[in-house]
Amino acid sequence: MGVIIIRDNIKGGALTETTFLVLLAVYQPNHGYGIMQFIDKETNGRVVLGAGTLYGAINTLVKKKWIDSYDDDAGSKKKEYVITDVGRQKAEEELQRLREVVKLASVIMSGGNSE
Amino acid sequence: MSKLVFRYFFDFMNGQERWLNRMDEYGLRLRRCGKITYIFDKCQPNQYEYKIEFVGHKTYSQAKEYRRYLENMGFRTFTKNINLNFSFGKVKWRPYAAGWGRIAASPGGFNKELLILEKKRDGKPFELHTDLADKVDIYKRVMRVYTWAALMILLSGVMTFMPNISSLSDGVLLAVRIILLTGGGLILIPLVKYFRLVQCFKEEGKIYE
Repeated sequence: MGVIIIRDNIKGGALTETTFLVLLAVYQPNHGYGIMQFIDKETNGRVVLGAGTLYGAINTLVKKKWIDSYDDDAGSKKKEYVITDVGRQKAEEELQRLREVVKLASVIMSGGNSE
Repeated sequence: MSKLVFRYFFDFMNGQERWLNRMDEYGLRLRRCGKITYIFDKCQPNQYEYKIEFVGHKTYSQAKEYRRYLENMGFRTFTKNINLNFSFGKVKWRPYAAGWGRIAASPGGFNKELLILEKKRDGKPFELHTDLADKVDIYKRVMRVYTWAALMILLSGVMTFMPNISSLSDGVLLAVRIILLTGGGLILIPLVKYFRLVQCFKEEGKIYE
């Protein structure tokens, strides 16, 4: 799959929604299909990740060490992943960024002033 | 009861995919495929859905791992060739892969540039790539295949005009040029189509993920 650009080092620091949701899905160890189901369920079907897109996202996040393989059950055919400390930190930063965006949007859209 | 069909696709991604899905509408489920052959089993119409995935740019082990992952996702998979390679015996050069291209040998990734995926219809859309950047990436790779094929045809065409290289008679030379021109045209059609798709996804990507 294609390389999914994770915009962690670009000014503004926004993660793609795919990246953020995959990070959330592996706070508990989870395999590919489980991640897909988690995202589908938790977003009420708004975000449905394709298997190819998810594969690219998982590989990129593993390379960046934001998530890691989780080998609790050696007999299991399905590879599981879990978030790392770096991944948690990135997810927390994204949550903070989203809070700020929501706050700004709420003020402006309700007719207030952002200052 | 089974049905054998001979078919070659110049549009090996979307064209082949549409055709397989149409066969399912007629109640034919893919059982096996060869270089230009497809064997179908009779089934209830509209039971399965098909997607084509391009893996020609991956190494053999990467493609194998990806196939295993997709099978774990619940898809039935088949490997398929695209025949737009440059081969010598059992070794193929895939110039469209990154950098200087990639060599595929047999046994290995030889003639396995595509994966055909089958899923039981469940009312949900069957999309492998849902991210716009990801879609652009995969179609760009497909475009590279057609671009290389077009370049090779162009090169062959130019060679027919070189007096010291070509010793063919005028009649044969004309036939060769007509074949090359037809082949080039058939390759250019999907190339333009995928180019437009990439542009369209890029535009969308400026606003949406």
